[in-house]
Amino acid sequence: MSSNPLIRTEALRKTYVTEALETPALRGVDVELHEREFTAVAGPSGSGKSTLLHLLGGLDRPTEGEIYLEGTPMSGLSKDQLSRLRLTRIGFVFQAYNLIPVLTVLENTAFVLELQGVLKAERIQRARKILAELGIEEYAHQFPNRISGGQQQRVAVARAVVADPSIVLADEPTANLDTAMSLDLIDLMRRLNEQKGATFLFATHDGRLLDRVSRLITLVDGRIVHDEIQAADAGTRSV
Amino acid sequence: MKAALRHLNRNRRRTLLTLLAVLIPVYFLVFMFGFSNAVIADLFETATRMDIGHLQVRHVEKRGMGSALPLMQDADEVVRILDSMPAVAWHTVRLDLPALASSGERSQSIYVQGVVPEEIGPISNIANLVVDGSYLHQGSNGAVIGQELAEILDVGVGDEFVALSAHPDTGVGVLKVPVVGIYRAPMAEMGRTVVHVTLATARQLARNPEASTAVIARVRGVTGARDLSEIDAVVTDLQGRLPADLEALDWRELAPQLTGYLGIMTPALTLIAAVFFGLGALVVLNTLYLSVMERTRELGLVLSLGASRWRVIRMILGEAAIIAVAGAFYGALIGVVLIWVVEAFGGIPMPGSAGEFMRILGIRPALHMAIRWPQVILSAVAMAIVAVMAAWFPAHRASRLEPVEAMRYVE
Repeated sequence: MSSNPLIRTEALRKTYVTEALETPALRGVDVELHEREFTAVAGPSGSGKSTLLHLLGGLDRPTEGEIYLEGTPMSGLSKDQLSRLRLTRIGFVFQAYNLIPVLTVLENTAFVLELQGVLKAERIQRARKILAELGIEEYAHQFPNRISGGQQQRVAVARAVVADPSIVLADEPTANLDTAMSLDLIDLMRRLNEQKGATFLFATHDGRLLDRVSRLITLVDGRIVHDEIQAADAGTRSV
Repeated sequence: MKAALRHLNRNRRRTLLTLLAVLIPVYFLVFMFGFSNAVIADLFETATRMDIGHLQVRHVEKRGMGSALPLMQDADEVVRILDSMPAVAWHTVRLDLPALASSGERSQSIYVQGVVPEEIGPISNIANLVVDGSYLHQGSNGAVIGQELAEILDVGVGDEFVALSAHPDTGVGVLKVPVVGIYRAPMAEMGRTVVHVTLATARQLARNPEASTAVIARVRGVTGARDLSEIDAVVTDLQGRLPADLEALDWRELAPQLTGYLGIMTPALTLIAAVFFGLGALVVLNTLYLSVMERTRELGLVLSLGASRWRVIRMILGEAAIIAVAGAFYGALIGVVLIWVVEAFGGIPMPGSAGEFMRILGIRPALHMAIRWPQVILSAVAMAIVAVMAAWFPAHRASRLEPVEAMRYVE
């Protein structure tokens, strides 16, 4: 990888501390993510996948180590600055509770744009456009509880990419979907990756999805044990 | 706004409870204000139509409670001044003397009021209470006494009694006075003591043809206690025109006990308002806090997507503001409608003797509630502000949620 990384971590550690015990979730992760990559973080439950995504997305802070987003260290950012960073640079797709129940599909999609202060006419136009691209425009005025789980996740993806973020982080987005819907969602994300050049990093423990990614990072017990570029011109790197 | 309304629609029962927490204090306060306005109006009406008038001009000398009022000699000059003031609607000269009434071996302390019979109507209803004989008229030489005094002295119309006055300014005066009328007093004490004679007769008793104790006046355009400023303006104006030995006193100075009642109204209402506002605020705080707890995951999602903490605070306060404005509006509306309904049925009837007393005085025997729009608006706006302020705590808590923890929250 010759270009500057979009995200780079250095010796990233995260330990959850309770009164009773300390639980290390990440034990020194060094990784670089580049633009236009379509990367999966795989691993068993408790391997640290979600923790890594939360740290990369500025939703949580590491116990040790540093994260650089486009060369800027994130540890020096205040909570408000991290909020602004998430709003403008990062798109999120979560496993569940992904949509705001009192907003329609169109309003959910446009919500990030509204937070950014985009004028109503423009945000409606942009939200409609992405919904059309993802084939769910017909549900624009439905509330989330009136559409299927797969459609809800499509809306979540639409919301994640509508503001053209630097990277989309998806935390087990297919966990609540059946196989067909899961594959459909991953294909959709891959299409957005290829057509729009959006960078995706998603966590999964579903092996059926892994042949669709360009890069696979495997985490076990908070450490990267395998990092493989699957594109035809790339090699394989094991840690 | 649309999203806030949908949030409120999600849990209608809780929204209704919150709405009621705002609505009830406002409605209650508006109604209480209407009631207190009625009481104040009643006190004012009673005070200013029972002898006192809106203001009086008296001698500046103060002799303490129970003593005879000092005599003034300049009543004609005062009358001239009052005649020159367009704001003064009515005035009359009075000479009040403490005296002893006796007939045969019976006697009773009395209070002789020397009046101009043709002028006394606006501040005395005795002429309408006469049950035997007739009331005074100009030039009549007699007295109108209460039934109680007639019984004590054992006299009737046409009989005479002796009035003996002992005024510090004029010494002892004695006069034989025929009874020309007997009135039914609203209170026994009044019937025993208050005796009306003409001003000329009273001056004979005081042995001073120019004497008077007060010039009583009413101010034009004053219909109730809310017009106090107009009375104050006349008193101030008058004060500058009177001779140095005279002073103008308004009805509050002449009836300080009533002023005392009025004085405790505002603090009492403020206290009641504070209690109701406090209870309303607690309910608003509690229900919105519950709402925030239930929506922890959703708020976590909103924060995860990059919403600023101030944005989250605005979301919660926006919902509170909708409830606060709606509750305050409907509370004020219900309060106003309730007052209208009460008034449509003739006001709040005064019970028993109080009603009878007012009827005898020629005053409507009911409390008539009045809507003062500034009070209505103040009640509604104050409660709405208190409700939004109460929402600050849950809003602040929502804004401090950690996104990841909030999204993992299990109810």
